[in-house]
Amino acid sequence: MKTSRPVAGTLAVAGYIIMIVPILFVVATAFSAGSTLKFPPDGLSLRWFGEALSYDPFLESLVTSLQLAVASTAIALLLGVPATIAIHRGRLPGKNIVESLFLSPLIVPELVVGLALFQQLVITYNLENASVLLIGHTALLLPYAVRVTGASLANADPSLEEAARGLGASPLRTFVTVTLPILRPGLFSAALLGFVTSFNNVPLSLLLQSRDARTLPVTMLDYVQQSYDPMVAATSTLILGATVVIAIIAERTLGFAKIFGGINR
Amino acid sequence: MRSRTTSLLVLPGLALLVLGFLIPSLAMLFSPPGTETGEIFVRLGEMITDPYELRIIGRTVAIGLVVVVVSITLGFPIAYLLARSQSRWAGVLLALAIFPLLLSNVVRTFGWLVILGSNGVIGQLLTGLGVLEEAPQLLYTELAIVLGLTQLFLPLAIISCYSAVSQVDAGLDDAARGLGASRTRTFWDVVVPLSLPGLVVAATLVFAGSVTAYTTPYLLGGSSQRMLSTQLFSYSSVTIDWAGASATAMIMTFLVFLVSGLSSLAARRGATS
Amino acid sequence: MTAAAEFVEVSQKFGDFTAVDAIDLSIPQGKLTTLLGPSGCGKTTSLRMLAGYSAPTAGRILIDGVDSTKLPPEKRGLGMVFQSYALFPHMTVADNVGYGLKLRGITGPARRARITESLEMVGLAHLAASRPRKLSGGQQQRVALARAIAIRPKLLLLDEPLSNLDARLRVQMRSEIRRIQSETGLTVVLVTHDQDEALEMSDEMVLMRAGKIMQQGAPSNVFGSPTNRFVAEFLGYENFITMTDGSLHTVRPEHLEVAPAGRPVIDGGLSLPGTVTDVAYRGVDVLVTVQSTDPSGLNVTLVSDLRADTAPPVTVGDRVTVSAHQTRLVPIAA
Repeated sequence: MKTSRPVAGTLAVAGYIIMIVPILFVVATAFSAGSTLKFPPDGLSLRWFGEALSYDPFLESLVTSLQLAVASTAIALLLGVPATIAIHRGRLPGKNIVESLFLSPLIVPELVVGLALFQQLVITYNLENASVLLIGHTALLLPYAVRVTGASLANADPSLEEAARGLGASPLRTFVTVTLPILRPGLFSAALLGFVTSFNNVPLSLLLQSRDARTLPVTMLDYVQQSYDPMVAATSTLILGATVVIAIIAERTLGFAKIFGGINR
Repeated sequence: MRSRTTSLLVLPGLALLVLGFLIPSLAMLFSPPGTETGEIFVRLGEMITDPYELRIIGRTVAIGLVVVVVSITLGFPIAYLLARSQSRWAGVLLALAIFPLLLSNVVRTFGWLVILGSNGVIGQLLTGLGVLEEAPQLLYTELAIVLGLTQLFLPLAIISCYSAVSQVDAGLDDAARGLGASRTRTFWDVVVPLSLPGLVVAATLVFAGSVTAYTTPYLLGGSSQRMLSTQLFSYSSVTIDWAGASATAMIMTFLVFLVSGLSSLAARRGATS
Repeated sequence: MTAAAEFVEVSQKFGDFTAVDAIDLSIPQGKLTTLLGPSGCGKTTSLRMLAGYSAPTAGRILIDGVDSTKLPPEKRGLGMVFQSYALFPHMTVADNVGYGLKLRGITGPARRARITESLEMVGLAHLAASRPRKLSGGQQQRVALARAIAIRPKLLLLDEPLSNLDARLRVQMRSEIRRIQSETGLTVVLVTHDQDEALEMSDEMVLMRAGKIMQQGAPSNVFGSPTNRFVAEFLGYENFITMTDGSLHTVRPEHLEVAPAGRPVIDGGLSLPGTVTDVAYRGVDVLVTVQSTDPSGLNVTLVSDLRADTAPPVTVGDRVTVSAHQTRLVPIAA
């Protein structure tokens, strides 16, 4: 940046290096032709992309991850949006307490939530890992659903809905024609954040895993522990590519800053 | 819409939260399976007097604090420069700083294996140039964990600091300069004190994230540099020691709650002064 | 007498937009100079360049005869009052006023004395321990003024200082600023878009438009003899008349008489026939709009501002004669 601020500029460059350079090395090693994880790589090839795409544990866990992310996001919105409406538009006793209850999964460490669900629901009540995984991910995403859609709703004037009712719209019609369009950007942000959060989650997925309920990030962690080859780098590069696409969609439709305004407060 | 029936819409979500999060969490903290009442507190007492466990707790807190300091030292200047820049590149750089939040922690942390590993970039560079005979042990050190966690949480620090600095009227910078303050002096006298609430939020988020992160200490710290998170996983999945796992979870939760509590206390005092 | 500050062919470009276009300007020592013009005329940009907040893309700025073009704001020793006041919210009023002194190594009793002196000058010594956000807009304005004069600046720069105040306070602050200027003998540069403010307060008035200086001089000179149509219009001249020789003249509405057709009220001056198109009664005065043809044969709309109690009773559609003294006709550049 500007040379007139040498200290701030140097620190900023160092910050960007720490954030970005490791990601670049992942991409660089993914194109290695050799079979160990080293830099500079032994020659260039697309070999490890082929290996990654035909490695069954990765493919199976990818399907699991996608199913889990879609399902938990959908359920979190289905439960979270009505709750948001109740919080912002209903006559709810102890509204603030209810709202902070919905946000509470953000405060408790994810690893602790994972342990709790494993101990209590899997071990004590013998529920299936897959269903507990879904419950856990949904609970984790509820805060996003409530907070992000709540922000759109809080900014909207409730008299819009009253006006629609006054013009003769039924409550359902008011919801579909007035409330839902107000919520749309919030719903989109919440869905996007929810999907990404669930897909990337490690702590819950790790503690609640079973043979038929293992997500991609957990499988990758296991793989790194056993073999030291560039296949995880290739897989990571593919995930990076998909994330870039999602980021571009997010930026084009809503703007990054808006989406992340919801995360951090 | 403002009716009692609208309020009922909260129930399904509430049911999931209570049954799928709240009750299990409380039950886990106080009565893990196969343990007697109070056993967990005995275990907790043992832990905070056991040197090995204490070292893990100490390492977790120390690493958390170091990551907070490093993240703010690097993140605040980034936020400051971006918030005060009029360049069109500022938007791109801000997006570049936020983007990693969307990317899997596994992918982000994996890069450090390539950099710090025994065949990694730094090792190759040092031995190749003849600086060292043998590649230094960089992986599975506290330094590796600090680097990895800083990479992970720097974006959060930047966002919090950015929104704080953006709220400080740039006219105040001008006023201080006009009265004779250098850029550096203006930064310390005006920008930093007025961004303090955002800095506190950033510090809290980074600390809470660092003391509970699993992927980074697992990949970069291994079993030689245990943190509370890797220890918790080991109790629950390797040694199947429910009381140990619950006690560790309790310590971890306590740390996070303590820091959040202190920061909201600080925020309240700041608001009234 | 030397100039306190001087602009030498100073330009400021933002991309393709030229905010200030090669202006030459001299700020006289110990006087109050106003930069006046509509928004976007380059007056604030000029002030910010003088203060050092924005570097000119061409030209030089001299302060006390020294080339200061490249000097950062903190090295210029000028006092600036911002439109938003820009008081530090985390400091008390006294600390705001004393901030510049601290930076100059003035501490202890000397600093306290200077703070009190500055606050007394604006009549706010009793609020020294308050926080700025507890103060009213007018009080904040005074603190900003005290903060700027506390450092004994070479120049005091005021950027639209009164625009955020209500009408009554604005008028009161005009004389307040004048008083402070004459008590301290400071050279003051004030930016405003309000012509009344400029006329009342200035020793020297600089009218700007689209990055250029249109006219400069004492308020009475500029007001009495605008040299071009822009300045005339900006100062309330509404009637523009082209003579038979092609020269352009302007007349203020209050100097234009209206009389029923065939009876000129003023001899040996301008006299034009026309038809009344509008009569607007405003209490003290009445505005009569007349459609007429000037000596060169162009159709013109003329506005006459008459005293309500002596105005002839005319109504819309009346044939009238509009007239003015020869001395009231101000020749201007087209």
